[in-house]
Amino acid sequence: MLITGIKSRPVYDELTPMQSGLRHVAAGQGSGGGPLVRLLGAMTPEQRAVTTVLYSVESFTGRNHLGEIGGYRTAALQVFPSNVEAVEGLDALLAGTTMGTRLYLAGSEGFIGTSMQVATRYGLNSDEVLREHAGSFVRRVWCAHCSHYTENVSRRVFECPGCGRHLVVRDHYSGRLAAFQGVKADGEVPGEMPDDEELDT
Amino acid sequence: MTTAHTTGSTAGHAAGFTPDESFTPEGEYRFQNSREAVRRMPFPFPDDDYMYSMNLEPHVPAGDGALRAAFDIDEHYVSECRHRAQMLEELPGVHYLALPHMLEAQWDLLELIFESYARDFPEHFTLTKNGNEWRWENRLLAIDDTFTFGDPSTLPMDPMEYATRQAQGEFVVLEEKDGTLVIGAGMTTQRADYSLQFNLGMSFFEFHGPVPKLHEMGILDRALKFLLRMKPGHPVRRVNWSLTVHPRLETSVETLPDWAPDRTKVTAENAGDLVHLRIELQPLHRLPRSNGIVFPVRTYLVSLAELVEHAPDWAKRMHRALASLDPELVDYKGFHRYHEAAVAWLAQHDDGAPLATGYPWNEGGIQPGTV
Repeated sequence: MLITGIKSRPVYDELTPMQSGLRHVAAGQGSGGGPLVRLLGAMTPEQRAVTTVLYSVESFTGRNHLGEIGGYRTAALQVFPSNVEAVEGLDALLAGTTMGTRLYLAGSEGFIGTSMQVATRYGLNSDEVLREHAGSFVRRVWCAHCSHYTENVSRRVFECPGCGRHLVVRDHYSGRLAAFQGVKADGEVPGEMPDDEELDT
Repeated sequence: MTTAHTTGSTAGHAAGFTPDESFTPEGEYRFQNSREAVRRMPFPFPDDDYMYSMNLEPHVPAGDGALRAAFDIDEHYVSECRHRAQMLEELPGVHYLALPHMLEAQWDLLELIFESYARDFPEHFTLTKNGNEWRWENRLLAIDDTFTFGDPSTLPMDPMEYATRQAQGEFVVLEEKDGTLVIGAGMTTQRADYSLQFNLGMSFFEFHGPVPKLHEMGILDRALKFLLRMKPGHPVRRVNWSLTVHPRLETSVETLPDWAPDRTKVTAENAGDLVHLRIELQPLHRLPRSNGIVFPVRTYLVSLAELVEHAPDWAKRMHRALASLDPELVDYKGFHRYHEAAVAWLAQHDDGAPLATGYPWNEGGIQPGTV
């Protein structure tokens, strides 16, 4: 079973204003505030006037860009204490949007992935969304055996809080589940573990 | 829907079928192939050296074995349908999934399977159409149902689930979207080492992500371009293969803790009985209404010992192909722990005689051999 070198991971973009947008939604988390600030700076005042910013201050690395974001005049700025609440806020916002909305996402892979699940539900096409990865490479992992989702996984091998098995994290990513795949690490011989390493890519 | 009979104890006693089989450890893997069943298989090694390729060819009837019908059935049909029902019951929501917008493709698939079975095996299946009122008779499973084509309320379950519970092999339906093919539905109780829950919604390049070399070899780009040009009524096929310890059909990622330990049990002495060649026949069809593509995987299991006994030349070929296999493929296919044992066991049955090249269903291709 291939663990590394799997080519199903998302390819990320760089956030730049989409000229075709009539209305913009920019959602970020933690270090993702950096790309949001850059995006807002690249926008015209007219574009910023039709832009709603959602920002979660939850961060794995401890970075907070709220001050810089707040320095821009936008249609609205919504601040959330956690990523889960920010994604819920995005859901509520997209429920009321119309054609011509463009979405910008920035932050951890888990945040971008769960936000994409919401965007897909509202039928946003890939050419209406830009995604920029920022900050740490912690991953959201789905356990293939008990279906538990674990946030912020930073090691190649970890213990699943759902079923207690040691899982090896494959570089295999499901957009629908917004997660990497975790499979029993010592599946063939109990106790025989693959090499552990920091997930830093 | 009206059901004259349900799948009951009278099912499966048609001549030539072996309904009392098991593909699970609980059933003690009660499974074997007749000589005829082995010699009709779509043997996947045309050369002594194996490297994968797209190897797509038009899916036209060839010979009187597995490639005669659009969707092949064999002596294991009844027991495989029973196994599917058992797997679906044991792990609901894991082996059968369909995205909400796939309903039209589901009806396409039901029609394709039922029409093909009725045409190719009229002694077992009959499809009678009166406009959209259809009657489906499956004598092997003692089913006689009527339903309205296109109206899901006239079936007890999704059309795809209904049809594929009565079909051998697994079925993945791909939808065409943004210039690629995306997994929209699947009935995969026989899948080899992947997760349908995880792969649902993935694009062609994403779900091929774990296969080594394909990207570098440029195979995927060419395969996708080819598939996107497919037209209804012009199916294509390819064969693939792997190895499985025991005649176990269900080897999904989800249940890996149950079956992966078996890989450590193989020795050069018991490999003949434990190691099974897993042949996958994949006849792809474009679906007419939905414009989807169905990717079926019809799996044939045969032990190395059965190959030697019933198809000695195929056993020799397999020895050579396995012995020279690229280590990266050995790892990907998951048998690095018992690769050597399987090769050593097969070596005893290979005299080194030259063998024909080409698939057995092609003229001049390798035949099973004299027994």
